[in-house]
Amino acid sequence: MPCPPEPETTASLAAVVGGWLRRFGLVLALALIVAALGLAKPNFLTSSNLINVARQISINGILAVGVTLVLLTGGVDLSLGSLVALTGVIAASFAHPGDFFLVVPLFMGIAAGTACGAINGAVVTRGGVPPFIATLGMMTIARGLAQVLSGGRPVSNMNPDMTRIAGDVAGIPIPVVILACVALAAWAILANTRIGRHIYAVGGNENAARASGIHVCRVKMFAYTFCGGLAGLAGIVLAARIATGQPNAGIAYELDAIAAVVIGGTSLSGGVGSVGGTVLGALLMGVINNGLDLLDVSSYYQQIIKGMIIIGAVWFDRRNARGS
Amino acid sequence: MKTCLLSIALSLCFAAGCHKPSEPDKTAGSRPLVIGVSLMNMANEYIVSLNDAMAAEAKKSGLQLIVNDAQRSPEKQVQQVETFIAEKVDAIILNPCEVEASSPAVDKALAAGIPIVNVNSETQSQPTAFVGSHDEESARLALEYIAGRLQGKGEIVIMHGYMGQAAQIKRDRGAREVLAKHPGLHLLAEQTAEWDRAKAVTLMENWLQTHGERISAVFAQNDEMAMGALLAIEQAKKKDQIIVVGVDAIGDAIQAVKNGRLDATVFQDAAGQGGIAVQLASRLAKKQAVQRETCIPFQLVTKDNVDKFVKSATTPRAP
Repeated sequence: MPCPPEPETTASLAAVVGGWLRRFGLVLALALIVAALGLAKPNFLTSSNLINVARQISINGILAVGVTLVLLTGGVDLSLGSLVALTGVIAASFAHPGDFFLVVPLFMGIAAGTACGAINGAVVTRGGVPPFIATLGMMTIARGLAQVLSGGRPVSNMNPDMTRIAGDVAGIPIPVVILACVALAAWAILANTRIGRHIYAVGGNENAARASGIHVCRVKMFAYTFCGGLAGLAGIVLAARIATGQPNAGIAYELDAIAAVVIGGTSLSGGVGSVGGTVLGALLMGVINNGLDLLDVSSYYQQIIKGMIIIGAVWFDRRNARGS
Repeated sequence: MKTCLLSIALSLCFAAGCHKPSEPDKTAGSRPLVIGVSLMNMANEYIVSLNDAMAAEAKKSGLQLIVNDAQRSPEKQVQQVETFIAEKVDAIILNPCEVEASSPAVDKALAAGIPIVNVNSETQSQPTAFVGSHDEESARLALEYIAGRLQGKGEIVIMHGYMGQAAQIKRDRGAREVLAKHPGLHLLAEQTAEWDRAKAVTLMENWLQTHGERISAVFAQNDEMAMGALLAIEQAKKKDQIIVVGVDAIGDAIQAVKNGRLDATVFQDAAGQGGIAVQLASRLAKKQAVQRETCIPFQLVTKDNVDKFVKSATTPRAP
């Protein structure tokens, strides 16, 4: 789903189909994979399994929504996985039974993520350090901090109220509700606010954006800080899901998140993309993961198949975007 | 970046490590023995416990340890041992990253005439002494427990660690030996969850979707994964139908056994291994003879004997 509105085509059927594919190529790819898995494994299309998939994509989805904003500015954030571990450890440290109200661990986790995101943003904008390097540095710093704070051991003994964040309400997993809220909020920011439009402008052409009076630094700061805050939220959800704060958690989560964003049609060079696409991308990855487990595919082949599907999905999408 | 940070850490470590032993040198000829330690991965809870035990033992017997973290890289491990040799340490303790790839570290130490003690895992090359436990036995204990509970009949699933690591291979071997003895036990599915609790939750959720009503037991090759499987099974409200067993006896698992959530785990003695490794290294440095291999047995932990382990519950493992 490329974001800038396409000019309306009133021409031939081929053009109409082409335009439709351009918009919905990813939906089609997802539908094909779902149909194939449904045929191969009847358990796949049960409501309990679909809810299961939704729960499993929520952490990657939250991270992917956050990093969508960063990628749209033409940047990248490699620190997400480590931030998930750090914020999870911090949240879990404040979540022992009887210590604090639940808001304290939640606040601390999100605040820590937001602070790290703001540091990423400051290093990129004020320091002029390339985002790849700035966030790579944060990746090892945050991982080290998580290990220092936890002494290298999982932080357990978690308040049951906190683990309920990963539970269900009225049959719907709470992490899914959180992902939906996060995606809606990010969509609203990108579509309806000035900073949202500026994010696209900065990613599209930074110099032009600066020339037209946009505070490029401020826009980038916002993107990295927002992304860090969401990493904090994802860290809390993960800690709740596994009932501990794990200093080793979240390894390579940033890559899964970036993959979901790119599958969702966001350009790695910035300026083009949407939150809706990102959620679809996360969904596609979750469906593949779940389907391969259901089919009892050996883990060796799972990795090969996942890699091919990631490349294939983006290829299919881009071909249709170029074609017609 | 990682290498950069490591080299800073290393130089700090050496700055601290090289100068200290020279201080007592000035006062008398009786400087404390210096033992170089290269650990597989300090981000791992079991290795942290091992390190704590070694530090305590060294303090007790007035030895000086120089501890380096190889961060899972056998190449770094070999470099660290080379540096120990150049520093002329009195003995080396190696906690190998890999069976084959860490072997050159052992060869080089022996060639330089420095005694080397392998702790916790083995290398292809024979060190001066080895202290550890046989990983096959841990899986054997776990599977025998499952076989007993199911009276030799049932469908089980197995969660593997990182495929190809020594612990994964050996625990798998031990599990298969027991499965072969009980034809009524059927292996329904097996998959890696990479020693990771979050991955284990997801894998178990997916297994419950496909095999939900048929699974009668889960064997996880470490407790992290057992705890993850347990969380998913509890969430699906199926714990009364499924036995869950892990290995390592980490704090969380001991607590879960005590609370009747987890059925069993297998205890590996990090404190024992670390302490004995330092004792052996110290004796070797003083040119005393030691036993070539010290095997510290595993113990099955169930609700019946869990209280014995609650105090010492700081010894998990997931290489």
